Amino acid sequence: MSPLWRLLIYLVAAPLIGGLLAGIDRRISARMQARLGPPLLQPFYDVAKLWCKEPLVVRRSQNFYILFFFVLTVFTGALFFCGSDLLLVFFALTLSGIFFVLGAFKASSPYSFVGASRELIQMMAYEPIVLLTAVGLYMVTHSFSVDTIVGSAQTPIILLPGVFIALMYAMEMKFRKSPFDLAASHHAHQELVRGLTTEFAGPTLALIEIAHWYENVMLLGWLFLFFSIHWTLGLLAVAVCFFLLLVVDNVCGRVKWLFALRSAWIMTLVLGCGNILVLWLLQVFGILKLS
Amino acid sequence: MSGLQKSPWVIHYDASSCNGCDIEVLACLTPGFDVERFGIVNTGNPKHADIFLVTGSVNAQNRDVVRNIYDQMPEPKAVVALGICATSGGIFRECYNVSGGIDTVIPVDVYVPGCAVRPEAIIDGVVQALGILEARRAAMAASTFAAGVMMIERATAADLPELLAVQKVAYQSEAEIYGDASLPALRQSLPEMTADFDKMIFLKGVVNGKIAACVRGYDDGQGTANILRLSVLPYFRGHGLGRRLVTAIEAEFPKAKRFEIFTGHRSAANIHIYEKMGYKRFKTEPFNANVEWVYMEKKSS
Repeated sequence: MSPLWRLLIYLVAAPLIGGLLAGIDRRISARMQARLGPPLLQPFYDVAKLWCKEPLVVRRSQNFYILFFFVLTVFTGALFFCGSDLLLVFFALTLSGIFFVLGAFKASSPYSFVGASRELIQMMAYEPIVLLTAVGLYMVTHSFSVDTIVGSAQTPIILLPGVFIALMYAMEMKFRKSPFDLAASHHAHQELVRGLTTEFAGPTLALIEIAHWYENVMLLGWLFLFFSIHWTLGLLAVAVCFFLLLVVDNVCGRVKWLFALRSAWIMTLVLGCGNILVLWLLQVFGILKLS
Repeated sequence: MSGLQKSPWVIHYDASSCNGCDIEVLACLTPGFDVERFGIVNTGNPKHADIFLVTGSVNAQNRDVVRNIYDQMPEPKAVVALGICATSGGIFRECYNVSGGIDTVIPVDVYVPGCAVRPEAIIDGVVQALGILEARRAAMAASTFAAGVMMIERATAADLPELLAVQKVAYQSEAEIYGDASLPALRQSLPEMTADFDKMIFLKGVVNGKIAACVRGYDDGQGTANILRLSVLPYFRGHGLGRRLVTAIEAEFPKAKRFEIFTGHRSAANIHIYEKMGYKRFKTEPFNANVEWVYMEKKSS
């Protein structure tokens, strides 16, 4: 398929899939708590509702940053699904995250500030491992290009199990799930008063939600790269990963920021760097040959 | 289809009393009742909420809190008073510190009596509030389109608190332009405004029963009518409300030979509108380190 077609499909399908995933997430979480849970399409109802609410702001410029956050998040996913460079995707993702934080800082309220500083700490915690993923995938497939990685004869998960586990740890942060929902928690956790999104209401909040859907689809795509040997197998594996994230979300309480930072870096160092070191040594001593 | 009826997010606040009703609100979220089935989410953030659930008889200490939460909720919104204390003050009604019912502080849409109120009754109350929310949304959508049918009237002394609120909300965008929250319009108090009211003509622009914009003006006795403090709520901007108000206030001074108006030097949007209405700048005057007033005038035709 040509990149243009993929881009179009991504632009249309990603929010639908993302919203549906959010609905599945809420339903499964409810079942795990012995509740019935909302309808599957609930996230879409929520966004439709937010769209017709009054656009209340502290400062009007705060919405400007969120618009950039949205555009860059969509752009990040577009780069990824058009088969572009993983490093470029990574830095675009970071940039979009930064705009979200700037928006929260612009809103100038204590809750928003706490959310924004926690988000920055979380970014520090998860970015090294996300970057290491790109490095690991390069070692295995000799390319940063998403297209080449998917088309490669290797199955990265076999050679990069440590990197993958550390990445899953970081995904818990990216998906804003417990135990790392420090910066902005999802439904039914209200003691943080929604952190980053505290001061956003109405259409802007809807935009944040849609951006989150786009982002989730991109992140699941990122996980897919590890299982890219076979389409069905890959999608199945990604579904299992998503379910695992939900299980962890429902069995864990929230941890403190320092623990989040330390543990993420330890995971990155031990599992991520360790994995890459072992891979390198194997190649140096000629035990493993990657073509 | 607005989705509003399928996704009512609530915020709950316990305005004193025995806390029993408040616990019943939380019981609604538990597996036994699971209100998330109806898309109801407990937000804990007024800016995300659609329905305000208040329990308890409001007292002198938390009047302001209730008011504040209500004010921070974006329209359309609805208020449900849960339990007999919130409905009327209940057994605390005669207490010296109790206001007696939430409706003494904010407008209430649905009353759900009970001591303590049962979760089934709470869910029923929220469902009734949904109808009200939907009606409000329709009215809101209509009022945006109905900005063209804004009624312009002389304001009365009873309007002053609302006018002051409109002015302060409207001038937020100015404060942002200059990074300065000390603009006179933002610092004005109600007594100062009342003093202004005695000397000036106040016009209010009413959209669907709510004041959306206002302006004031006075004749200086030498043939010049000064027009001040044009305020339009952000939600209603871009519909020509400001321009119509200025035209209306000019008509209030038939004897004036010239009209004078001023704004900040970086308020490009204001200057643009005034220039389009035939005003020309004739002098500038520094106000403080951040702001320079631009004075504009127009000869009476």
